[in-house]
Amino acid sequence: MKHALNLYRRLLGVQIRSQMQYRASFALELVGTGLIALFEYASLALVFERFDNLGGWTLGQVAFLYDMAEFSFGIMDMIFAGFDPSLFGQNVRRGTFDQLLLRPVNISVQVLGSEFTLRRIGKIIVGAGIFASALALNPVAWTPPKALLATLMAVSQVAFFGGLFIIGATITFWTVESIEVVNIFTYGGNYMISHPMHIFPAGLRQFFTYIIPAIFLAYYPALYILELPDPFRLPAFAPWLAPLAGLSVLMAALAFWRFGIRYYQSTGT
Amino acid sequence: MRIFWELTKTSLQRHLTYRAATIAGLVTNFFFGILRAAIFVALYDQQAEVGGLSLQGAITFAALAQAFIGYLSLFSWFELMNSVYTGDISSDLLKPMNYFAFWLAQDLGRALVNLLLRGLVLMAGYALIFDLIWPKSILQMLAVLVAIAFSWLLSFAWRFLINLSALWTPNARGILRFFFVFSWFFSGFLMPLRLYPDWVQSISRFTPFPHMLNSVVEIYLNMLSGPEVLLTLLAQLLWATILIAAGQFVLRAGVRRLVILGG
Repeated sequence: MKHALNLYRRLLGVQIRSQMQYRASFALELVGTGLIALFEYASLALVFERFDNLGGWTLGQVAFLYDMAEFSFGIMDMIFAGFDPSLFGQNVRRGTFDQLLLRPVNISVQVLGSEFTLRRIGKIIVGAGIFASALALNPVAWTPPKALLATLMAVSQVAFFGGLFIIGATITFWTVESIEVVNIFTYGGNYMISHPMHIFPAGLRQFFTYIIPAIFLAYYPALYILELPDPFRLPAFAPWLAPLAGLSVLMAALAFWRFGIRYYQSTGT
Repeated sequence: MRIFWELTKTSLQRHLTYRAATIAGLVTNFFFGILRAAIFVALYDQQAEVGGLSLQGAITFAALAQAFIGYLSLFSWFELMNSVYTGDISSDLLKPMNYFAFWLAQDLGRALVNLLLRGLVLMAGYALIFDLIWPKSILQMLAVLVAIAFSWLLSFAWRFLINLSALWTPNARGILRFFFVFSWFFSGFLMPLRLYPDWVQSISRFTPFPHMLNSVVEIYLNMLSGPEVLLTLLAQLLWATILIAAGQFVLRAGVRRLVILGG
C-alpha cells in the first residue's frame, strides 16, 4: 500500500512537471477550460432574466446544484483522467496498456497515475465561483448536518463519476473502440444532476434513480440543504444515501475493472 | 473541379464506413435533445411565448441544434491541426490544388454523411416523440436548404481559420477548444439567442456565429420576414467570404514560417 502511494506520488510528479513544460500553453488551456464552464453556466443563468424559475427553482437554487456537479466533475476528471474512456480506449488500441501490464506494479495505480489533467483546475475554480454566487443569491441557513451533507455530496459525486469512467474504460477491453454511448451516463448524468431532477421525463428520472442512483447524489441532498419539499415523497433519510450511492458505484466499477483485467486479451498491436 | 468532387466522394465513402461512431453519435445526441427539451418545458411553465419564441419553437430548436452537431462538427474539428503535427501538410501543400479547397472538398463529404445519417435520422426520431414545427411552404423550405448549405460553408471557413493556429504553436488544442466555446454560445447552440438578454444578442450580431445555427433555425421556424430572410442569407455569404479571405491571408503568413521535421 505504502509502495503504491509512493509510486502514485511519483507518477503525479511526472505528469505535473511535463504539463508545466509549456507555461503559456498550459495557462491558455487553464483559462480555456474555465471559460468553457463559465459560458455553459452563463447560457443557463442569463435566460433567468426572461424566465424567473426552472421548474419552480430560483437561479440561486439551481446554481447550488449546478456548481456542485461542475466542481465535483472537474475534480473527478482531473484525478481519474487515466480512466477517461476515450483516452483509455486509445491505449488499448495502440497497445500502450500492454506495456503497463508488463510492469511489476499495481495496474490500477499505474493507470490512475498515467494522466492527471491539471487544466481541469480552471473548471474547478469556476465551479467554486458559481458556488459562492449561488450562496449570495440564495443564502443557506447552515447547520452542522447541512455542512456535512454538502461535503459528502461533493465526495460522493467524485466517487460516482470516477466509477462511471472506470466502467467505461473497462468496456473498451472488449469493444477496443471507446464507445460514445458511455457519454450518456457520464456527461448526460452530469447534465441531469446539474438541474432539478423533477423536470425530466419520468422514465429517465426513474432510470437515474433506481438503475443508476444519480438522484441521491445531488437532488436529494440539495432538497435537504435548501429546505425544499420532496415531490416524490421518499423517506426522510433519502438525502443521506449520497455516500452510499457514490461508493457503491465506485466499488462495483472496481470489481468490474478487476474482472475485465483478468479476461483482457490484447489487440496484438 | 474534378479533383474536388473526387475528394468529396472518397471522404463521403470513408465517413459512411464509420457506422459504429454514427450510431453512438445518434444515440448521444438524441438523449441530450430530450434533456434540453425538458428544460424548455420547465422554463416556459405555461407561458405561450418568450422573446418571440414559442415553446414548440424552442423544442424544435433543441432538436435542430442536436441535428446540426455532426453536420457542422460543432464540438471539435482538429483534422487540419493534426496534419500540421504529423507533417502531412507538407505533401498536401504540394498538391496541384488550392489548400482551402482541398480541405473543403473533404469536409463536404463528411458534412453530407452527417447531415443525412445523423441530422435527418435525429429529426425523424424527435418527430416521433415531440410535436415539432415544420416549414410551411416550398419557398421557405428552399430558403432553409440554402441557409443550411451556407451555414456549412461559414462553419468550415471558421474551422479552417482557427486550425491554422497549429502553424504557430506546438499545442493548438487548447486554443481551438477556447474558440469552439465561443461558437457554442453565440451560435445559439447552448440556448436560442432570443432567450438571452438584449445586450448578449447585440454582442452576437458582431460575430459570424449566429449565422451558423441560430439564423438557420429562425428561418426554419418562420420567425423572419421575406426581406429579413434574404438579408440573413446575404450576411451568411458575407461572413463566409470574410473568413475565407482571412484564412487565405493567415495561411500564407503561416506557410512562410512552416518547418517540417523529417522522419
